[in-house]
Amino acid sequence: MNTPLAFTPVTQLLAALRRGELSATRLLTHYRDRIDRLGTKSRAFISLDLDGAAARAAAFDSGGQGRQPLGGVPYTVKDLFDVAGMVTTGGSRVLADNVANRDAASVERMNAAGAILLGKNNLHEFAYGATGENEIYGTPPNPYDPARLAGGSSSGSAAALAYGLCAAALGTDTGGSVRAPAALCGLVGFKPTFGRISTEGVIPYSWSLDHVGTLTRSAADAALLFETLATAHQAAAAGALERLSIGIPQTFFYEHCDEEILDSLERLKTFLRESGVKLLPVQLPSMEYTRSVSLTVQMPEALSYHNRFLQQRGNAYSADFRAGLALGQCLLAEQYIRARRFIESYRRDMAQVFTSVDLILTPATPLVAPEIGAVEVSVGGRTEPAGNAITRYTSFFNMTGHPALTLPCGMHSTGLPIAAQLIGRHHADESLLASAAALESAYDFELPLPDLG
Amino acid sequence: MKKLEKATLIGMRDQLGGYAWQDDEISELVEPKLGIITGFQDLLEQLEDLRKIDLEAIPPAGDIPAE
Repeated sequence: MNTPLAFTPVTQLLAALRRGELSATRLLTHYRDRIDRLGTKSRAFISLDLDGAAARAAAFDSGGQGRQPLGGVPYTVKDLFDVAGMVTTGGSRVLADNVANRDAASVERMNAAGAILLGKNNLHEFAYGATGENEIYGTPPNPYDPARLAGGSSSGSAAALAYGLCAAALGTDTGGSVRAPAALCGLVGFKPTFGRISTEGVIPYSWSLDHVGTLTRSAADAALLFETLATAHQAAAAGALERLSIGIPQTFFYEHCDEEILDSLERLKTFLRESGVKLLPVQLPSMEYTRSVSLTVQMPEALSYHNRFLQQRGNAYSADFRAGLALGQCLLAEQYIRARRFIESYRRDMAQVFTSVDLILTPATPLVAPEIGAVEVSVGGRTEPAGNAITRYTSFFNMTGHPALTLPCGMHSTGLPIAAQLIGRHHADESLLASAAALESAYDFELPLPDLG
Repeated sequence: MKKLEKATLIGMRDQLGGYAWQDDEISELVEPKLGIITGFQDLLEQLEDLRKIDLEAIPPAGDIPAE
C-alpha cells in the first residue's frame, strides 16, 4: 500500500487484514494515535469508545471471527445513531443525558459484519442545517483549509474520515447532509434509495426525507458498506462505462455555479463521452418551488418528533432550531399534505426521465467549502444563505428518493475539492455504485491528501 | 393574500394550542434575522402559488416499492 495507512480505502485495508499483513489492533492503534493528535482540532467527535474498540480489535485478532465482510475495519457514526451504553446527543444540549439501551439497526449490521466502532461524530444540531456549525461541540473545519467549513449536517463524520481518524463513517442525509460534506471534504458520499437502509434507532429529523448514508474514501468502499447495510441487497454486474447513458439536466443544476466547478464537470463529461458513454440532455421537473416543498414537509415532521422534549427542555435548543420548529407549528395541514403530493408528482416526472437514461450527472455543490461563519454566499451571480447553497443540487433527490452519490472530480484554485453527483433509478443502488466505482477507477484524477500539519 | 403579521401568529399560538413559542421566536418568522428560515412570508407566498396548481388525484408520496 503506497497510500498512508490512515487514508487507505476499506477495500485495501480488508485485503491487508485478510493476508495477515495488518492486524486490527495495529490499525486501531494507528487511528487512536491520530485521534489523540487531531481529534480536538478536527472537532469530529462528540464521544469515543476507544477502549471498547481496542477490546473488539484484540478479539478479532485472536481469531474465531471467521471471514467477516468488514472484519477489523474501524468506523464511526453521526451522533444521531443509537449505540447501546453510549449517549446519543443529537449534537444538542437537549439530549446530553440520553443513554441508548440498544444499537441502531445500521450499527447492529456494521458490528455483525465485524466493523469496529470508534466513536460518535459531531453534527449540526439535530441535523438542522448544512453548514455543520455547532455552538456546543464546535464546528468541524475543512481539512483542506481550516478557515472553511467541513459542511453538514454530517460534519463530524466527514471530518473524522477526511482527517484520517477512521476508515469509514455513517451519516444521515435529509437534503444532502451526507453527500454535501463528503463533496466539500474530498470524500465519497452515498445515500441509497429511500428506505433501503433502515433508519431504526436513528434520531429522526424528517421521516419522509431522512436517509442513512455512508462516507467513504471510494465508491468501491461505499458499495462494500452498502452490501452490509442494505435490506435485500442484490449483487450488481461490474460497472461498464461504455454501456451507460447519462442524462445532463438542461436547467437549474448547472446554473449559478462556480466556473471552476463547471470546468471540472466539463472535463468529466468529455472523459465519459470518450469512454463511450451516451450523454443525453434531460428535462427535470421545475425546481422553482422544490425548496419550499421540502421545508413544508421537514418542519412539521421535526416539530412532531421534538414536541416530546420541548415542554421540559425547550430552552436547551439553539435559537435557530427553535425558530424552525415554530415555523412547523404555523403551517397548515393541507399545506403539508399538498407538499407531499408535489413530492409524488416529482417522483412520477423523474420516472419518465429515467426511461431514457441510466444515470443523471450534476455538480455535487455549486460552490466549494464556504468560510466558517459565512451567513450568505454569492456564487454565479446568486446570493443565498450558505446552507441553502451547499444543498442546492442535492436536496431534490431526498424528495424523489433516488439513490445518489457524490465523488471528487477536481481541485479548485483555492485548494479545495470539487465533486460531481451521480443519481440512479429507484432501487438501482447496486448499479449506481458499480458505475461510480468503474468511473473512479478509469478517470485520471487523484485527489491530493490534505496537509494536516 | 395579505402580509403575515406577528399578531396573527401570536393569535394562533394563544388560541389554537401547541407549544408556547416566545415572542422573539415568532418575530423570527415575520422578520428573520438568523438566516436559517429565510422568510415565512416568502414560503407562504410560494405555497399559495402551489395551491393554485391542480394536482388532479395525485396522492401524497409514500414508500418506494421495489419493482
